[in-house]
Amino acid sequence: MGRLILKDISKKFNDLFALEKVNFEVADGEFVCLLGPSGCGKTTILRLAAGLELPTGGEIFLDEKKIVGTNKECGFVFQEYALFPWRTVKGNIEFGPQVKGCRKEECERISQHYIDLVGLRGFEHHFPHELSGGMKQRVGIARAYANKPKLLLMDEPFGALDAQTRNIMQAELLRIWEKEHISVLFVTHSVDEAVYLADRVVVMSARPGTVKEIFDIKLPRPRVRTSLEANALRDAILRSLGSEIKRAAEITK
Amino acid sequence: MKVDPGKKGFVINILSLICFVVLWHFLIILARNDIFNIPFIRLRDIPTPIETWYAFVGSLFTQIHGPALTYGIMEHMQASLLRVIEGGIIAFIVGVPLGIGMGYSKPIGNILNPIIEIVRNMPPMAWIPLAVFILVAGGSIFIVFIGTVFPIILNTIHGVKSIDERLVDAAKTLGASESQMITKVIIPSAFPSIIAGLRIGLGVGWMAIVAAEMVIRSPVGLGYFIWNMGDLGRYPEMVAGMIVIGIIGYIMNISILLLQKRFIKWVD
Repeated sequence: MGRLILKDISKKFNDLFALEKVNFEVADGEFVCLLGPSGCGKTTILRLAAGLELPTGGEIFLDEKKIVGTNKECGFVFQEYALFPWRTVKGNIEFGPQVKGCRKEECERISQHYIDLVGLRGFEHHFPHELSGGMKQRVGIARAYANKPKLLLMDEPFGALDAQTRNIMQAELLRIWEKEHISVLFVTHSVDEAVYLADRVVVMSARPGTVKEIFDIKLPRPRVRTSLEANALRDAILRSLGSEIKRAAEITK
Repeated sequence: MKVDPGKKGFVINILSLICFVVLWHFLIILARNDIFNIPFIRLRDIPTPIETWYAFVGSLFTQIHGPALTYGIMEHMQASLLRVIEGGIIAFIVGVPLGIGMGYSKPIGNILNPIIEIVRNMPPMAWIPLAVFILVAGGSIFIVFIGTVFPIILNTIHGVKSIDERLVDAAKTLGASESQMITKVIIPSAFPSIIAGLRIGLGVGWMAIVAAEMVIRSPVGLGYFIWNMGDLGRYPEMVAGMIVIGIIGYIMNISILLLQKRFIKWVD
């Protein structure tokens, strides 16, 4: 359950090749981070996997099922949270179960479970604008999980948070992920974040985006950010990424 | 001594009103004593605030003198308000679905846009002859409807179109169907805009009703009242009616703003 396969994925926007023959997969229960220079199509990959956009070429499968329309078996977590401002914390988390037609008690049971899981007990009836960035993203994560997805797609979910909140949220995400064990495809700009979180890190090339290198991160969790192994990995990934960032800068010049 | 800024503002508001009334009073007194006058304006015929107040109190309630029945301001007010509310409700029922349809679906927007764009530029007052000569009943309500419906349509369209696309994406991945998208995402998201449209629309409707009542000769209504009083030369009553119209318009606007604050808690 939760195996995502990208097969020769290409995407063209007008005359611009955003992605060209992207191939990789996220194994069942695996945590994969996507790293790459700005504009290399990382977010596009997530949107394609969510079925919010269609590839120009190639195929995407989630558990052998080809994705054609909106993929309702994935949960999407956005950088700017994208919470429904007119719904409370509880209301946001219950959105998925509600549109699926769950009964009221069932919805309440699910929302209570995920409110507890992300540590938002006591804030059930708060509106998003009353919450801090970190808390908003907890709601975003809980809302995605409450829909019982097979795959979680996260688009720089902690990018808008300050460094301390960010570290806390990374640890929280791992704690939740280890409990629920749903595959995660996580887009980030931060090598540090990728090495801390991922089982595998996919480094992408500058536009048109394609897979440049894949790193296995076999460090045991909980990981120490400053360990020698982590440092060595960061160094290798940065070197791989560095040349692409340079190329990306030249493209946009 | 420190004064609460909100309170300070309120005190200034009240003082300003008092100054205006005093200025008004002395201007009229000066004109009546031939000390000061403005050419081409018969200032001396304008009632003083005190005369206006007495006229207001005197004509507040319906009076019966033998066979003659004179409706009071309360009666006129009730009639006008009822028409605005009826016209407003119809405009809301018609305008919101139209606005949602036009904002959500490009084809519907393209079909209806040219019609709406031309019709909405005919002022409600331009519809009065049609209401008088062609409509059999409900002419004033129709004029209110015309004044109210376009601000509601336009604001609803704006509300629907300015939705945050990420919310639509989020709802899609959470499994919302197209109809759920409309009821659970688009309408709530556009709701503040819709209410703003209702507020603006009712303001226009209130102006339109006064004009309509002057022409569509029903025996009650504030527009009819002020025209009739002017016609009879009872200027204090006329001015009292005008002030009532202003105050009611103000109260309508404020009440909707307060309701909005009370019920739409999620807007920052």
